[in-house]
Amino acid sequence: MSDEKNYRTDDPTDHLSDYEPVDYTDPVRQRLAEEPVEAIACQPCMSVSPTTTVREAIETLNESEVSSLLVVQDDRLLGIFTERDVLEKVVERYERVAHHPVEQFMTTDPTIVYSSDPSAAAVAAIAVAGHRHVPVLDLNDKVHGITSPRRVFEFLDAVAN
Amino acid sequence: MSFRKELADEKVGSLPLRDAIAVDGHTVVRAAVALMRSHGLGCTVIVDHHCRPAGIFTEQSVIRMLVQGVCLDTTPVSQFCDPHFFVLRTDDPIEKAWEAVTRSGARFLCVTDKSGELIGLTGQRGLSEYLCDTYSQQVTVQRLGSAPWMLQREGA
Repeated sequence: MSDEKNYRTDDPTDHLSDYEPVDYTDPVRQRLAEEPVEAIACQPCMSVSPTTTVREAIETLNESEVSSLLVVQDDRLLGIFTERDVLEKVVERYERVAHHPVEQFMTTDPTIVYSSDPSAAAVAAIAVAGHRHVPVLDLNDKVHGITSPRRVFEFLDAVAN
Repeated sequence: MSFRKELADEKVGSLPLRDAIAVDGHTVVRAAVALMRSHGLGCTVIVDHHCRPAGIFTEQSVIRMLVQGVCLDTTPVSQFCDPHFFVLRTDDPIEKAWEAVTRSGARFLCVTDKSGELIGLTGQRGLSEYLCDTYSQQVTVQRLGSAPWMLQREGA
């Protein structure tokens, strides 16, 4: 018996035989459902080590004109240090904590998406979970980049016209 | 209806709006920061005496201010306005908000009524929520968290 028999679409035991792919009329809907997160721009992405001082991290945010820094060690994501962390934990006592390591003030265990997730997962992380900066990891849990509302909008804008 | 057509037809007033923190330009940075923290918001809107938006002080302004080493207790917010300052009216098309965010990198958009008085804020978050509502079938079924999808599923 040939292995091919198992894949015949007219096989009455094949429960997927009547499966029909979704016929999308809206390209934005199709992009959200079928294209992976890695199709969204995830670079540039700034990262720092956990021992970087708060002062250095803030100078990097300012010079690079970015809103967040991934805190990374050996390609593994330890946390994220964002403008919101500066507002919540740093600004009112900046002179006292400027020389402390950024790992003391970063957000640990941030919501992430995987590069192979549907791009709609990035929208969910931003709109439902309320995170503006969403680290993107590959399936080996290594840092792939970061996505943001602007990058997602630009990704959808390309097919919206 | 295409997404672009929806953006052109629907009005900014139908976007999710957040209450804005309105301050005058003389407010010192420390007071503005305290308000932003207590409201969990990333900006304060500087308004004139008719409550019309005149500038915006954001988390990005805070970063610039820290780098320059200025005093939080004496520096007014008007000295560190964010250059990304956009004002939209409730009857403007959502397309205008979309353009401001995608082309100019605006994060916050001040929303006014027809008389120009500030009534709220929208921006990247509001548009993300609008996307989520428009494409809820695709977006709301997604995994959220920091564990891979296959570790969260039962069986299979």
